[in-house]
Amino acid sequence: MELMAKIAFVVYTLLVLGGGCFAVGAHSLVRAMVGLITSLLGVAGMYMLMAAPFMAFMQILIYVGAVCILIFFAIMLSRADSHGVESGSRRPGKALLSALAFISPVFVIGWVVVNYQPESIRIPLEVPLEVIGKGLLDNYALAFELISVVLLAAMAGAVLLAFEKKGRGAE
Amino acid sequence: MSPLMMYQLVALGLLAIGLYGIVWRKSLVGMLISVELMLNGAGLSIVSSAQLTAADSATGQIATLFVMGLAAAEATLVLAIIVVVAKRFKSTETDAVSRLKG
Repeated sequence: MELMAKIAFVVYTLLVLGGGCFAVGAHSLVRAMVGLITSLLGVAGMYMLMAAPFMAFMQILIYVGAVCILIFFAIMLSRADSHGVESGSRRPGKALLSALAFISPVFVIGWVVVNYQPESIRIPLEVPLEVIGKGLLDNYALAFELISVVLLAAMAGAVLLAFEKKGRGAE
Repeated sequence: MSPLMMYQLVALGLLAIGLYGIVWRKSLVGMLISVELMLNGAGLSIVSSAQLTAADSATGQIATLFVMGLAAAEATLVLAIIVVVAKRFKSTETDAVSRLKG
């Protein structure tokens, strides 16, 4: 069983990091989105490995189901052509600048992760769904309500922004 | 290497790829994809530190649910911004929208 878990972890790691590299490097934005979906599915698999099946379910439902469709709409509505705006030439040295952007934060966080690691549990336990539901409605009720307000405000704002020009034309 | 550290390193890899992508990409949609990658790294890191240490697991999972909700709200708003930018500038390249009008 231990060996199976290790093999699954390696496969999911390859999915996550390979999909991520594809999402960043692909010339076509639709292909980049496919890379993103691969990466998200890999993370969902990791949630399953950590005995959090509800999180895996939510990951697939919210990220793959909702956010990726939104990104697909964004690609469609921005009329990105098949070659993509990404395939053109970039300023010289941009790859170096992009590499610099992640080196220092990743180095600092990586140093902390490697040097200060707390005691790790080898076999995680699954949290029953009732406990998560109770937590959402007892201790974190305010945050739960606030996030629904944030979602509502974001959606109302999105509708307002997208229909701005039409509204002006009707006046 | 403890299991916790392996998951944390994968999450760190996602953060690195996202940070690289947000500078490297030329279009707003590409930057949005990079931000989603980084948020996923955050979620993976939170769940792994909740499930694999003595900390309360339910709290960590609830926190990740909030991260997912905020990611959905953020993606909705960015979609609307991209639609507006595409209408006004006829492209979503970041270089096209880099000038302020005062």
